Amino acid sequence: MPDLLRRKNAPACLHGRKPRTGGVAALLVTTIIAAPGAGFATEIDISKWSPEYVKSIAGTAEFDTSAECAKVVPSDYKGRLSYWYVGPTQAQPEIDHKIDAEFWAAWKKAYPNIQTDAQSLDYNDMLNKVRTAALGNAAPMVAKFPILWGVEFAAKGQLKELKPEDVGYETSDFWPGAMKSVTYEGKTYGIPTNNETMAFIWNAKIFADAGLDPEKPPATWDDVVKYSKQIKDKLGLYGYGLVARQNAGNTPFRFMPQLWSYGGGALDETSDSPTYKTVELNNAGSKAALQAAYDMYVRDKSVPASALTNTQNENQNPFIAGQLAMMIAHPQEYAKMLDLAKNATGADKATADAVVANMRYGLLPAGPARRAVVFGGSNVHIFAPELVDGGLDLEAAKAFICFSTGPEWSTKLAWTGSNPGHLDGFTTKWMKERLDTIKFLDVTTSMLPSGIPFPVIPEQAEIMNIIVPDMLQNALTGKMTVDQAADDAARKVEDLISGM
Amino acid sequence: MTIDVAHQGGAVPAPSLRRRPNLLRRIVRHWNDYAYIAPAIVVMLLVIGYPIYYTVELSFFKTPPNLAMSQKVFVGFDNYRAILTSQSFRDVTYNTLIWTVVSTFFAYVLGLGAALALNREFLGRGVLRAVLLVPYVISAVAASYVWKWLYHSDFGVIGALSVQFGFTDEPINFLDNIYTALPSLIVVNIWKEFSFAMIMLLAGLQTVPDQLLRAAQVDGANTWQRFWHVTMPHLKGVSMVTILLLVVTNLNSFIIPWIMTGGGPAGATDIWITQIYQMAFGRIRFGMASAYSVILFIVMMALGYFYVKALTRGDEAKSE
Repeated sequence: MPDLLRRKNAPACLHGRKPRTGGVAALLVTTIIAAPGAGFATEIDISKWSPEYVKSIAGTAEFDTSAECAKVVPSDYKGRLSYWYVGPTQAQPEIDHKIDAEFWAAWKKAYPNIQTDAQSLDYNDMLNKVRTAALGNAAPMVAKFPILWGVEFAAKGQLKELKPEDVGYETSDFWPGAMKSVTYEGKTYGIPTNNETMAFIWNAKIFADAGLDPEKPPATWDDVVKYSKQIKDKLGLYGYGLVARQNAGNTPFRFMPQLWSYGGGALDETSDSPTYKTVELNNAGSKAALQAAYDMYVRDKSVPASALTNTQNENQNPFIAGQLAMMIAHPQEYAKMLDLAKNATGADKATADAVVANMRYGLLPAGPARRAVVFGGSNVHIFAPELVDGGLDLEAAKAFICFSTGPEWSTKLAWTGSNPGHLDGFTTKWMKERLDTIKFLDVTTSMLPSGIPFPVIPEQAEIMNIIVPDMLQNALTGKMTVDQAADDAARKVEDLISGM
Repeated sequence: MTIDVAHQGGAVPAPSLRRRPNLLRRIVRHWNDYAYIAPAIVVMLLVIGYPIYYTVELSFFKTPPNLAMSQKVFVGFDNYRAILTSQSFRDVTYNTLIWTVVSTFFAYVLGLGAALALNREFLGRGVLRAVLLVPYVISAVAASYVWKWLYHSDFGVIGALSVQFGFTDEPINFLDNIYTALPSLIVVNIWKEFSFAMIMLLAGLQTVPDQLLRAAQVDGANTWQRFWHVTMPHLKGVSMVTILLLVVTNLNSFIIPWIMTGGGPAGATDIWITQIYQMAFGRIRFGMASAYSVILFIVMMALGYFYVKALTRGDEAKSE
């Protein structure tokens, strides 16, 4: 039986897949990754990537992580490892804690002679702590960062080059968008651990009450504008949960998909081989997206007036209260809605339960140029030897990265909130179990091929968290016209990347 | 050593014309005293002195996000020049001045009013004093979130009441409007700070001699005249300190604007501190942020000088 996910040079792939017979025997498809925009000649046919396709390949292969990683670093290797990561917090479900504990037990069993010092850090503290540690030559050997953080360290020369082939995998084992996020100036500095994208969430009852098809999300962003107005006009409820707060990561994660869909961009991050030299914030597509946001906020008043100070968190309560019809949501948002409904009391409880029953997930709307979503997730990196506290044990680091980024653990460790970075993870029985137990996972997963990473340059934080929200606010408050706001933002980005 | 002889009942001696020994000689003479405080001085130099030095040093460097700190580029006064000539600095400074002056003025006036009211004997005075202290003791973070929801432009309590009582047709847009956001935040800040002024001034009112007020009353002074000519002069010192502390606190304000608006909408509530934070941790421009901090530091030091002068004025008078 051929591999279910055959990629170029597949025989070189470290993980020997044991296809499971039965159930999917008919699935003799050869799938090829070839994302438009991907700079990698990797090969899954994303035209097949749909909720049905994701379900059909899950549980079709098995992997023996310990045995396969032993081919990279012998299992009796004696060494030491230091590792920093954002571990599960008290707010996360019990299963995340359970899997985290299982992972460390499995790692200990696979490499009993590697003495491991793992530090679980708070998301909000980790970035500054790592910056400080790297400055003081006290960095860990290995660190797992959210997808946007690595480039800053790579640009400063603080990371060691690291590509999938170094730990027994192939570049084509990972999403092209994810590989873009670990590539800086043509060199690879990390390996994707998990990837997720957001999806579109709507309240079917509000749609029905407003005379819209309750089971169909808006197909395009123009439809979002239209639906939002229709809902506001007919029901007096807010249509779309616009987020436009300054200095908030939530803003670009929700506005950039719209901007990309209309053919805009911050730089040329949507192109096949981005150079990040061309500013596109004031092109026609970007202005059209900004105009659509303006139309909803100013002209139609169909989105919350508080959008300028709201993060996504402030959209959750209106949504569960049945006051908001549509929003862009993270895969975990469904679990959050269930929590909110569970904690509601009295009449609120009935409303919340009804909203949960009427919640629908769908693909993000498309635009004239494409369907797009921000490619999210995390990557694992190795710090430059001279910065590592006590020196780098490269073999131990490789063993750990092989073990944690393979199909098994990249799937399990992403259990509730994300998806495996390693594409073979989608074929595992654990993926099947996730699909069976986590509602809407198939939908959020099928947005992955539309994922576009933010520009992989150290200035991206300023562009995404400050310049883009500023542009939105300048237009939505009437401080500037749409054209002026876009031109002003483009000028700021030009100044920024030119080093001013 | 300065001795407050007046309080010891002795005669006031003529001011000494002898020059004080220089610092080095004093240290040698009192080496054991200095040895006792040396550990504290060393710690202070490390945790206060060094960061100040490093901030000043960093302010002369460009630290783009693609360079390690060891590769920072010396640019002289370019950071200062860029800041002082930028439109955003002018906007932020304007916001900071409005924020500081209006907050300080109203916090002081309300605090004074509350202190005068609480200085009188009446039933429930203790309870009222405790209630009025609540804004001061409540966490600024918690208060910011509570006010954010009170002000919420769609589902806020104030907006809902305003519609219910027919004052407006739709909820008032407090925080998402460039014209109302800063005044709305200033109201929260005044609410948070007036209790501090109240406590300070209440303490000051305890020092106003009762016999003077009674004498003024006997002489025919009305309530206003007694307040203006007797009470206020006695509150001058404490008022000066209170106002200076309020100004310094307001110039350093971060929590309320950051939590409630993040400096928005469109920079309408961006003040110096939020701008510095955003520059350092949002834009990763530590050199520029350091230059901004040094400018703020100079302003603060100038205010600190007046604060210390106000605090020690009595001592100086006594030591002369």
